[in-house]
Amino acid sequence: MNIKGLIKKELKAYFNSPMAYLVVLFFVLSLNIFFFFFGQFFGKDTASMRSYFSIMPVLFILILPAISMRSWAEERKLRTDELLFTLPLSEFEIVMGKFLSAVILLLLMIVLTFPVPIMLNMFGNFERGAIIGEYIGTFLLGLAGLSVGQFISSRTSNQISAYIFSVVALLFITFIGQITMVINVPKIIDRLFSYLSLSTHFESFEKGIFDTRDFSFFAIITCLFIYLNVKVIKLKK
Amino acid sequence: MIKVENIDKIYGRFKAVDNVSFHIGKGEIVGLLGPNGAGKTTIMKILTGYHYPTHGTAMLNGYSIYDDLLKVKESTGYLPEMAPLYDDLTVIEYLDFMADIRKVPKSRKKEEIDRVIQECGLTPVVYRGIGKLSKGYRQRTGLAQAIIHSPDILILDEPTTGLDPNQIIEIRKLICDIGREKTVILSTHILQEVEAVCNRVLIMNHGKIVAEGTPETIRDQVQKDDRFTIEVSGLVDTNVVKALEAVSNILSTESIDGKTVIKISAPKGNSTGERIFDWAVQNGLRLSALVPEQTSLEDIFRKLTNQAGV
Repeated sequence: MNIKGLIKKELKAYFNSPMAYLVVLFFVLSLNIFFFFFGQFFGKDTASMRSYFSIMPVLFILILPAISMRSWAEERKLRTDELLFTLPLSEFEIVMGKFLSAVILLLLMIVLTFPVPIMLNMFGNFERGAIIGEYIGTFLLGLAGLSVGQFISSRTSNQISAYIFSVVALLFITFIGQITMVINVPKIIDRLFSYLSLSTHFESFEKGIFDTRDFSFFAIITCLFIYLNVKVIKLKK
Repeated sequence: MIKVENIDKIYGRFKAVDNVSFHIGKGEIVGLLGPNGAGKTTIMKILTGYHYPTHGTAMLNGYSIYDDLLKVKESTGYLPEMAPLYDDLTVIEYLDFMADIRKVPKSRKKEEIDRVIQECGLTPVVYRGIGKLSKGYRQRTGLAQAIIHSPDILILDEPTTGLDPNQIIEIRKLICDIGREKTVILSTHILQEVEAVCNRVLIMNHGKIVAEGTPETIRDQVQKDDRFTIEVSGLVDTNVVKALEAVSNILSTESIDGKTVIKISAPKGNSTGERIFDWAVQNGLRLSALVPEQTSLEDIFRKLTNQAGV
């Protein structure tokens, strides 16, 4: 697989510009500010990280598009897409190369949150399994969000519109289940909406429940958007 | 090396390439010449696998663009019209990335990167960010990328745009060197470039090839007669000038600074030169100049691309 070279280049491009640092910094800071200050972790006095992870879906709506927006929009702006598609790489390899490098950035962000649970562990008796489950859920949520964002980036001509459209799209698919709280809809649609909603599936991870149905839901969303991305690129030929 | 057969490319309602066929052999440098929008870039995009043609096929290095696209891509190097560079990378990082993707073996990677840095004159900017480079360096970095894996086929879309005259000469020399063993196809609208670099020219207009051959053969096809400018000291009697009509067509006669300048055209291969000389001797004239005029490639180009157009 020749995809390693591509991943290396993507990561270098991320970290040679201040963007990646800002995104990571913003993520870690705002997560902890929300958790400790607004969430009043110490005031609650419970040995649970649940509220830490319940911020993730909202934060990801803002953060993930900032990572994925440049994926294609930047290539198109620099006209390097022409180079990329004339290199001996298949469309799938190119899409995966880009996706995986974004995933590496996601992993880095997640790893940077580790100190908090590790430190809190000293204060009380936290349930390890729950925290691990919550992390897996966060990672899966991130994968789905990045694949959506990358797909949208392939359909837009610049980073700003890629970002805005991705935020709107993620907002929609994350909270589509909650729409029914505001508008009155038939029961069946209510159930459909809440099934399609990312936050519904994330919630069970948040509670520390590991359900293969939720796992496969995120996997399907991720694969679907990667597939669509490859398809869109092939069609453009 | 490159075999293109009956290629069409239609974008919506616009026919960018119209039934184009050509063959290019090993060790040839072929120039694609034509005005903007003639279809040069589209042909290059098809050859590099960026676009598929609407109809027709192309084979590069024995591989079909439909069945073995990855092989085609492996054996070509491509420099698009706008050098495809990542502004966030440094020159060396970029070349390193290209060497990886182009499957340059690890053991030879450093050597090859050094080679292209040398050949393209990139030494002063190796560690600089690409976003901060001047247009000339950007273009040269783009070229370096295209030759890093020593491809059998090199496809260059207007390779010398944005370079200063010295750089242009260097790059042309580099292309000539590469063309000795490899196949090069380059597009340009600079006519001197074709004369300086190419063994063969394909002139395109409105998506079609309107002329093909060496610059000389194209000149022969277009220019049907020989043209001479005759300069004679002193004034020449009109009857004497008329006598020339036995040899040729008189295009113009004028007197400048005590000289008579006559321009004529005559059918090819009629030893017109000698006959003009004889005419001068017979009439006791002193020839101060007898200049055969070659139609420049520029004139040919204008002629070919205008007659088919509008």
